[in-house]
Amino acid sequence: MAANTMADEPAPVAHHFNNMLQQQSTVRLGMWLFLVTEVLFFGGAFCAYTGYRIWFPKEFEAGSAALNVGIASVNTFLLLTSSLTCTLAIRSAYKGNQFGIKLWLLATIVLGTVFLSLKGREYHLDYEEGLIPTSKRIVIQEEQPDGTFISKERSLFAENVTKVLHKEGYDTTGVYMPRVQLFFVFYYVMTGLHVLHMIIGIGLLSWQLILAQMDFFRHSERYVYIEVMSLYWHFVDMVWMFLLPLLYFAGPHTLHQAIEQFKLALGIASGHH
Amino acid sequence: MTKVPELHYTPQMVPMPELPPEQEANRLHYLNHSYGIFSWLLTVDHKRIGLLYLVSASVFFLFGGLAVALVRLNLITPTGAILELDQYNKAFTAHGTIMLFLFLIPVIPGVLGNFLVPMMIGAKDMAFPKLNLLSWYVWMAGAMFFVWQLTVGGLDTGWTLYPPYSSKYSHTNVLYAGLGIFITGFSSILTAVNIIATIHKMRCPGMTWSRLPLFIWAMYATSLIQLLGTPVIAVTIILLATEKIFGVGIFDPALEGDPILFQHMFWFYSHPAVYIMILPGMGVINETITCFSRKNIFGYKAVAWSSVGIAVVGFLVWGHHMFLAGQGYYLGLLFSILTMLVAVPSAIKVFNWSATLFKGSISFEAPMMYTMGFLVLFTIGGVTGLYLGVLGSDIHLHDTYFVIAHFHFTMVGGMLMAWLAGLHFWWPKMTGKMYSDFWSRLAAVVAIVGFIMTFIPQFILGYNGMPRRYPNYAPEFQFLNILSTAGASIQGIGYLMPLFYLPASLFLGRKAGGNPWMATGLEWQVPSPPPMHNFDSTPVVYFGPYEYSMPNGLGQLEKAGMIFSDEESTIAHAGQSLPEVIRGS
Amino acid sequence: MSEVRDTIHEKDEHTVASFGSTMTTFAVLAVLAVLQLSVGFTDFGPMKILASLTITGVQVFVLSVFFMDLRQADKLTWLCAGASVFWVLIMFTFTLTDFITRHMAAY
Repeated sequence: MAANTMADEPAPVAHHFNNMLQQQSTVRLGMWLFLVTEVLFFGGAFCAYTGYRIWFPKEFEAGSAALNVGIASVNTFLLLTSSLTCTLAIRSAYKGNQFGIKLWLLATIVLGTVFLSLKGREYHLDYEEGLIPTSKRIVIQEEQPDGTFISKERSLFAENVTKVLHKEGYDTTGVYMPRVQLFFVFYYVMTGLHVLHMIIGIGLLSWQLILAQMDFFRHSERYVYIEVMSLYWHFVDMVWMFLLPLLYFAGPHTLHQAIEQFKLALGIASGHH
Repeated sequence: MTKVPELHYTPQMVPMPELPPEQEANRLHYLNHSYGIFSWLLTVDHKRIGLLYLVSASVFFLFGGLAVALVRLNLITPTGAILELDQYNKAFTAHGTIMLFLFLIPVIPGVLGNFLVPMMIGAKDMAFPKLNLLSWYVWMAGAMFFVWQLTVGGLDTGWTLYPPYSSKYSHTNVLYAGLGIFITGFSSILTAVNIIATIHKMRCPGMTWSRLPLFIWAMYATSLIQLLGTPVIAVTIILLATEKIFGVGIFDPALEGDPILFQHMFWFYSHPAVYIMILPGMGVINETITCFSRKNIFGYKAVAWSSVGIAVVGFLVWGHHMFLAGQGYYLGLLFSILTMLVAVPSAIKVFNWSATLFKGSISFEAPMMYTMGFLVLFTIGGVTGLYLGVLGSDIHLHDTYFVIAHFHFTMVGGMLMAWLAGLHFWWPKMTGKMYSDFWSRLAAVVAIVGFIMTFIPQFILGYNGMPRRYPNYAPEFQFLNILSTAGASIQGIGYLMPLFYLPASLFLGRKAGGNPWMATGLEWQVPSPPPMHNFDSTPVVYFGPYEYSMPNGLGQLEKAGMIFSDEESTIAHAGQSLPEVIRGS
Repeated sequence: MSEVRDTIHEKDEHTVASFGSTMTTFAVLAVLAVLQLSVGFTDFGPMKILASLTITGVQVFVLSVFFMDLRQADKLTWLCAGASVFWVLIMFTFTLTDFITRHMAAY
């Protein structure tokens, strides 16, 4: 089939619709309705988080201070740029620019994948620092003023997070560590759900890329499917816009810390501490 | 924009031109146009998907019934007749979870909603037919996985899954059972998206919002609740699972968590969930009560908006399940007041239905018997809810059999009766066959009598202090418990009877024809069983959904030369010039 | 009478935003992101969370109105967006009221 003939015919309308406009507006509405459920889904997690933050502000501040803000900052711009590229893909589809569709969809996928890689690195660094909520306990030897040692049992997580916070220069007096663990549970659950939605989004974008390769978008009326994909992707970006201040900036961070932490993520240790 | 000529008054019923027997025998419709198991398992036809839901929901209903048989038999003696203590916990949990998640929530939206929503609005199918089929598969996957988990090890937390018992102390399959519920929740969401999009975008010309059958308004409100509430229980189950898998304390007070937070999040969905269950039932009642009193609904707007009102206000009252849990005192007061408020839209509906009956020409076929049962039993259920909604009296009645009786009156006396009414009302449409009038009426009587005998004693038991979910009870309660169990057996017979005469009608029943009840509504304007694409040409609607007033109005108008029907469709439409003298209700 | 039978949704005809409009929106969002990070790295005390969430609110508004095309969407889409926000607020208000007032008994 010659490349141009498909674009000249109007796109076939599904059998249960009367015309293309009805089909397009219904597809849009369907995605918006689904996004309503997503808002409520994340909203539930945020509501639980907020309740505990109101009860334990000091501990949540401390937990946030132990997070890698460098990676989060870079990720913010990656995700924002991917929102841009996704929107540009809509315009390409609307104009019938097949190369543009594939280019911008691919760019979105790449940016999303880099986000996920950095996020994975962040989780790995958290694991290395021992910041995984656990019920394990360890016995430590605490030095007494008179030089002798007595054994004390502490939560393994509490030990690890105290070490990390002291490294970042955060004063942990008066911070009750089990509540910091609660913060970290929410950190993993909320960012984890976000990661899951990104993975699904990248999967769907890849599917649309394959469809574009199969000339599905030769009919420019089918731009609406890229549009609803971008609605989902923008929503994922929106969730991140909430996660960043709530999780990462609840506690104190400096730009210098962020740069150091990002260097750590890339494996370029600065040796400062 | 298409301009639909305004017609002030004409009934929607069209005497159905019946095809001669030879043509009727060869007519292609949605059941016989393709054969084979894959034509059913891979169908995107909303009518076939509705039947798929019918078969599976009925099977799950039987499972739930078996579970409660165990419970009620055990309660014959004060110390437990047939079950061990932990088995009893598993039995009532199985009954609750199966009946709620695998029957009451999906049955009317899945069966009648899928089958009727496109037909009632004059569309050829739902907005997203493939999504519709996916919804059934997701539901079946979750439901079968859930039932499997119940069978291998069970669930003993009660359907409410409260932590820290469910996350820390229970040795049953909380995690996998929770996963099953999580998966079925997706099905709810997909169906809701489909129904809302369909109602907004696929109505036929002339089908304005105020001409929609009230069943559609009810399905719309139900879908709104499903859309807004289900995600919250999804995230709650995820948090519960995280707590259980990783041994951390999200809701565990020993680990800095708050068990009441779980209850807030759980009931944020689960209270609106009961409106997901009852609203479709109320939608069915609108259809049957108008048909079997041969009368227009009294107060169309009031009933329509009260559906939306229930959906909205239903989200503001969840704390009435937590009056004794330890939530804030002032918040409890607020929830109590709002609970009083949420009873109002339901009461409005009951008043309007009663007014619809008034001076109607009432006949008591099986759908109407179930409808009458609904009216009485749902009203009792509703008003007893008020006792529970008042904070002060709830202190005495919370977690007693009074609560159980209340929600069984609304869910079984209300919703189940409405489902049976709907099943019996639309069975001839779905299958083209009419069932036995005698056996269906008898089954209705048996079910309703059995129901009353089962649950009225439970109000008395609860008021006198018998706690719910207990396998043992004080000896003075035994007589009422035996009465309740006896009633349950009679009720069970009443529910089993349709399992016989309904399938029997497929082989032995007389052909129903397009409109055996002489009902209004677009679904009755096509032959039974309906054609593949519902309508041979797009219907055009000129009048409201319940114009029962003039039985042969179209014939008379035709005689007067005021309207004509053309060869393209069997539905009459208006001519170019129309006298203004026709006035209607 | 075929025109009676067609269902037309002329009001649903959408146009896609221009390249310039898209880039401008991106620039605004990028500036807001930089602002968000600066607020994050500064010590505002108790005002910090308020400032952060305000910036987030503006970001969400710009993203939804321009990138998610609420600008030319019909009333129904606005209703979807508004309803989701409203329902989240219901959940937040009642639940957080409990968290704040639970220990304030009337007796």
